[in-house]
Amino acid sequence: MKFELNQYTSLISFLLIPLLIFWNPSWLSLMGHQAYWPIFWLLPWALINGPFKSLLIGFLLGFILDTINADLYTQIPGLMICGFWFGKVGSLNYFHSTPLQFGLTAAIGSLICSLIYFFQMVVNLFFNESPVWLFSYGVQNIFAQVLLTGLLAPVFCKWFYFLFSKKNF
Amino acid sequence: MIVRLSKSFIFRDVYYIITRPFWPGEYQQEILRKSLNKELNIKLNQLEKDNLRLRKLLDLQSFSEGKKLNSSVISRNIGSWWKKIILNKGSQNGVSTGDAVIGPGGLIGIVENTSRLTSSVQLLTAPNSKVGVWNQRANLHGLLIGVGTKTPKLFFYSKNVDIQIGDYILSSPASTILPPNIPIGIVQSIDNESNPNTIATIQLTANPEAIDWVQIFRMKF
Repeated sequence: MKFELNQYTSLISFLLIPLLIFWNPSWLSLMGHQAYWPIFWLLPWALINGPFKSLLIGFLLGFILDTINADLYTQIPGLMICGFWFGKVGSLNYFHSTPLQFGLTAAIGSLICSLIYFFQMVVNLFFNESPVWLFSYGVQNIFAQVLLTGLLAPVFCKWFYFLFSKKNF
Repeated sequence: MIVRLSKSFIFRDVYYIITRPFWPGEYQQEILRKSLNKELNIKLNQLEKDNLRLRKLLDLQSFSEGKKLNSSVISRNIGSWWKKIILNKGSQNGVSTGDAVIGPGGLIGIVENTSRLTSSVQLLTAPNSKVGVWNQRANLHGLLIGVGTKTPKLFFYSKNVDIQIGDYILSSPASTILPPNIPIGIVQSIDNESNPNTIATIQLTANPEAIDWVQIFRMKF
């Protein structure tokens, strides 16, 4: 029963991610930019469940987020890489759940996802012969997203980590 | 002495002070302003009717009030990679892909896709956004391309065009995709050095960050 409760917590919070993305709270933004919300859920989940399950859940999360945004680019590769890496970090037993570790790991994960997403944009523009003014926009976006994700991760990730790994309710 | 006094307009100034409380006040000004507004509204309606009639004669795109649909913004994703808003009207209300979305100030985007109850709008600032526009003063057409920032770029089809900072940019009157003559923005800066076209930076007149209600112009009615 306790195990089931933990599973339900994971599932409910997983289903809340798209709603959070739709809500997009402006009071948690920096110069209008938002943190990369899926990382806050994926990092603690992957730390507990290991690299291979997290690779799969990264795919599922990316798939859901792609259906929300419905554009030319995908978030699946970034989230799969992050899921695998976060899971590996958790299984190697040198993650001590300190706020700094949560912040740094989430910031690096957000950087990986942002770079992959931006790379797809640049490639698409290159093939469509569109002007490449996107660099300043891309750099600004990546910087703000990584910074915000890193700053908020110690709060959100630690809270989710506590929820997912809690043995007694 | 009397002549000097009279020449210095003293009586007129005294009359001014005495009669001041009895002048036509704010109320009369308001009446005048309302009458003027009514007159202008009548003229505007007449001009709109003429415009519609002429557009029909020329077989150009025209829009009546019945094609407009009010909608509220239920989600805003403006600050990150995705420049989109979600509206509370979908295919159930007759909204379809390609419909123009107009907020206070002017055009803000195009409906990208619809669900039964909602529709997603790609903003003019989105990197994939491309809209044909028109400068009324110089009678010039161009292509407005979103570059992710708040100020999209306007590409003219030729070099050294007669465009000035402060010029208004509207949707093209000959457009078959957008409603005609909808305000879009103001020219903020011009880059004449760029090759092979002149490129202008446009400050949009409608700000999606502050808009809660919009109007959807249904193209397929």
